[in-house]
Amino acid sequence: MTCARVDRRMSDWLDGELDPALARELSSHLSQCAVCARRADELRRVSGLLAGLPRLEAREPVAPQVLERLELEAETGRPALAVLFRGFAAARPLMLPSLAPAALVLVGVLAAVLALDSGPLPEVHLAPGAWGAVPASGTEGNPLFPSADVDLPREMAGLDLSPEVLAGRGEGSFFVETVVARDGSVAGVTVLQGNAEGEGALLEALRLQRYEPVRFRGRPVAVSVYRLISRMEVRSPAPRI
Amino acid sequence: MSAGEMPLDARTLAGAGQDGGLVASCRSGDAAAFARLVELHEGMVVNLSARLLGDPEEARDVAQEVFLQVYRMLGRFEGRSSLKTWIYRIAVNQCHNRRRFWHRRRREKEEALDEGLLVPEASSAREGAHTNPYEAARQGERARRVQSALLQMSFEHRSVLVLREVEGLTCEEVAAALGVPAGTVKSRLSRAREAMRVRLRDLVEEGATP
Repeated sequence: MTCARVDRRMSDWLDGELDPALARELSSHLSQCAVCARRADELRRVSGLLAGLPRLEAREPVAPQVLERLELEAETGRPALAVLFRGFAAARPLMLPSLAPAALVLVGVLAAVLALDSGPLPEVHLAPGAWGAVPASGTEGNPLFPSADVDLPREMAGLDLSPEVLAGRGEGSFFVETVVARDGSVAGVTVLQGNAEGEGALLEALRLQRYEPVRFRGRPVAVSVYRLISRMEVRSPAPRI
Repeated sequence: MSAGEMPLDARTLAGAGQDGGLVASCRSGDAAAFARLVELHEGMVVNLSARLLGDPEEARDVAQEVFLQVYRMLGRFEGRSSLKTWIYRIAVNQCHNRRRFWHRRRREKEEALDEGLLVPEASSAREGAHTNPYEAARQGERARRVQSALLQMSFEHRSVLVLREVEGLTCEEVAAALGVPAGTVKSRLSRAREAMRVRLRDLVEEGATP
């Protein structure tokens, strides 16, 4: 057996995956070739270093957090087909971190404006150099986020996930924002993250959804809905626990 | 929809269904059984995620996502693989998705694990309890070097190495967990080990036969 052939088979030999005759041949070569023997020894050391890595565990057990999230999902009546609605807080890992302070500023300014003016929603201008001119909050151009004061819009009918919509999917997930307009129609669907190639039909289904209009302090407002759509979850059955 | 279109179809995985009782209890709506399932497997999921992502906070988040996914997909688990292998596959997919998310957000967060929110398992800590401070520091530095070398590899190579060498799966189990043929696992393992040998040359030579 040549050194080049030993080189190609070394990893399988270390895993005990070579047939016995070939393994004997390779062992025989190693007993005669110092270079290959040294390499085999070094590869064993690599395995030893990896196997010797300390095992890590979370400081807080994961199980209670998972059960809490499942209970939360059950309480909020999530869609059976697992098009995943996420609360704003639950979506934190996937949200632009800057949205949180922006939302706080906008909600504060909006509350002050609404308290003074019962007329049409005005344009809101923040300090120059901070956020620039911001369209009126709660409009389609600047929708609100669901919060304690702003309900998540309810779908008037379930999402159409007919066989035509579900056919021919790949793997992976994508994260979409749906802006629900003040009249309950969908003003826009934006893929924020993930590969949504070939998902035109599903995105169109999201655009065609109708919701019950959301009101904030008596006014109809536009609201953003965030969804993580997993192609695996789309096929899963309804949770029963 | 045919079974062949399912990306995580347990039917494509080979193995024995030793966890049938627990899975059956979960399917019947036993929340305590599902809690038990999570407790039994969260250690391996957290460790795998931490090693694949190099970020303790992300690893913890991913672990939660993994078990939510497990919960939703248990109805499709047929027991042709071990539950462990099936969960490993979900975990690897979740880590891969999270990495792609970082990449699209131009956030290369893969750095050596600082282990800030994670702790070594009690068994690992016990193993190191008798070493002197110098030896403990040396072992810690070695672990950081190995983790750093892991994070420099492609995700494909990293995942086969972690599943095979760190988690101790067989090549067939790694193949099932990654959804690739065993031959692909072996060739990736070979290249990944060689790459690690080069990257960790000084550590490797430290203990090599003269």
